[in-house]
Amino acid sequence: MPDRRPSRLVAAAVAAAFAVPLGALVVRAFADAWRAPGLVPQRFGLRGFDIAFGGARAAEALTISLVVAVAATSLALLVGWPAARVLGERRLRHPAPVFLILALPLLVPPYAAGFGLSEWFIRLGLSGTIPGLVLVHLLFVLPYVIVVLLSGFGPQVTSLEEMAQTYGAGPGHRFARVTLPSVAPTLGAAALLGFLVSWSQYGSSLAVGAGRPMLPLVMLPFVNTDPQTAAAFALLFLLPAVAALLVATRLARSPL
Amino acid sequence: MSALTCTRVEVSPGGAAILRGVALIVGSGTRTALVGPSGAGKTTLLRAIAGLEPLDAGSIALGDRPLDGVPSHRRQVAVVFQEPRLLPHLSVVDNVAFPLRAARVGRLERRQRAAALLDEVGLGGFSGRGVRGLSGGEQQRVALARALCAEPQLLLLDEPLAALDPSRREGLRRLIVRLQRERALTTIVITHDRAEAAELGDRIALMLEGRIVQHDDPHTLFERPSSAAVARFFGATNVLRSVVERGELIVGENRVPADGRDGPVAFTIRPEHVAVGDEGPLHAIVSEAVYAGTHVRLTLHAGEQRLEAHVPPHAAPPAGAGVRVELPRDRLWRLPAEEPPGLPRVR
Repeated sequence: MPDRRPSRLVAAAVAAAFAVPLGALVVRAFADAWRAPGLVPQRFGLRGFDIAFGGARAAEALTISLVVAVAATSLALLVGWPAARVLGERRLRHPAPVFLILALPLLVPPYAAGFGLSEWFIRLGLSGTIPGLVLVHLLFVLPYVIVVLLSGFGPQVTSLEEMAQTYGAGPGHRFARVTLPSVAPTLGAAALLGFLVSWSQYGSSLAVGAGRPMLPLVMLPFVNTDPQTAAAFALLFLLPAVAALLVATRLARSPL
Repeated sequence: MSALTCTRVEVSPGGAAILRGVALIVGSGTRTALVGPSGAGKTTLLRAIAGLEPLDAGSIALGDRPLDGVPSHRRQVAVVFQEPRLLPHLSVVDNVAFPLRAARVGRLERRQRAAALLDEVGLGGFSGRGVRGLSGGEQQRVALARALCAEPQLLLLDEPLAALDPSRREGLRRLIVRLQRERALTTIVITHDRAEAAELGDRIALMLEGRIVQHDDPHTLFERPSSAAVARFFGATNVLRSVVERGELIVGENRVPADGRDGPVAFTIRPEHVAVGDEGPLHAIVSEAVYAGTHVRLTLHAGEQRLEAHVPPHAAPPAGAGVRVELPRDRLWRLPAEEPPGLPRVR
């Protein structure tokens, strides 16, 4: 089929655009010695990983990043669900201002927003605490989650819920057997995006974290001084993203 | 015994009054076809009965059980919507068994009962399939089996045939009628087609502008409409407004024998009952003759009175011809007196 060839070429080009830097990153992470004239590293080894994950600080950073990302995403899904539902079903007469308010955190640089909050967080005793970090991440995760989630709601979901209602399904049964399976793919996508937004927060974590280690924060100093360790961190940094992506594509492929 | 009683039901979804005092009594085990033009409020009435639209006023009762404040899922009213509304993540058999699942019936019994119903609607081998590959007609049959699976006190069908092409409608219509009869299931089925209504319902309720204007057996609605509006909907397009004098209806310059008291009246006669030929008391000019397949539709003018007549194609006079017209006395139906005011009168 000749008409399929161009699309395959494009797909290959896109795949290469992703794979080449990733390949370079993998090589860099395992290159114990890679001096200037050599096209390939002179010696491979695990020095980068030893430094990156040897200390307790790295493990702590990983744990905090994970806990905060999961908590912020879960909270955003919970808080964002009703908002996404109202917006997705077009029940608002004037949705534009609501969207603007929702998008406001995205218009302000995270460090600025975080710095603005940091003084209040200190006063409230939230500075440097896990709840504090979750709260500030929520600010940036929520708009993304809502915007993705709202596309899952609409007449197709409400009509199925009505059907379930007339066939004797109470609110709980309806939610578990009809609503949730119907919005599962968008829910997965929203969760993935929310997780990644939190996972890669730098500015706001720095502003209210009060020195708490998180992955982007501990990785960045190595970028200039020790590229091998930075690359090892980056691979770890990528891991949940790839895993989440795989789960999300599986969810999206399964019938609605 | 009446299964459903609607009393002065008023509903205004989104602010605009759609149902303006619906009164409807449906007998137990009967099949009522609810007809009316688009926007008359048929779907809204069904949704109100199913508990999907709140009432502004009036009440609905199922048997002697009032439904006021009863949530939809406790009403035991099953709805087959215009679209099948199947759950795409479940197989055919699990879609049919959905009401049993909600009623917490065990998995094995659920599947058995659902499979038996699939046999009944002619989808015996479809149990394990997904619902996405099914045709529109097959999906609607699955939706029908699901409705039966709920064993409802009242079955509501909202234009179940609308999405099907005409050749498939016949089969599904027979199936609906057969299943309803076997179970003596009290049923309301919406259609906007008067001929389909006559075939689907043993009773017909006509809805116009948010009210039920006549509810009777099909023959009565076609032959003895309660108002000019009912007459027009059921195709009795001839409405003669005139006076009766000494047992004769005055039509233009002519007189036609007619029953009833003397005085101003409105009569209707169906176009297929207007006899066109060489004899008859009325003289008319054929102003239009349209071939409509099974008949020719003639537009006649007898003086200022306009008449429509359906005649067999082989006996149709051409446009411009002068004909004699007879309005058979027993086919003329005198409309009850309560005519909406303000309509122009033909003298």
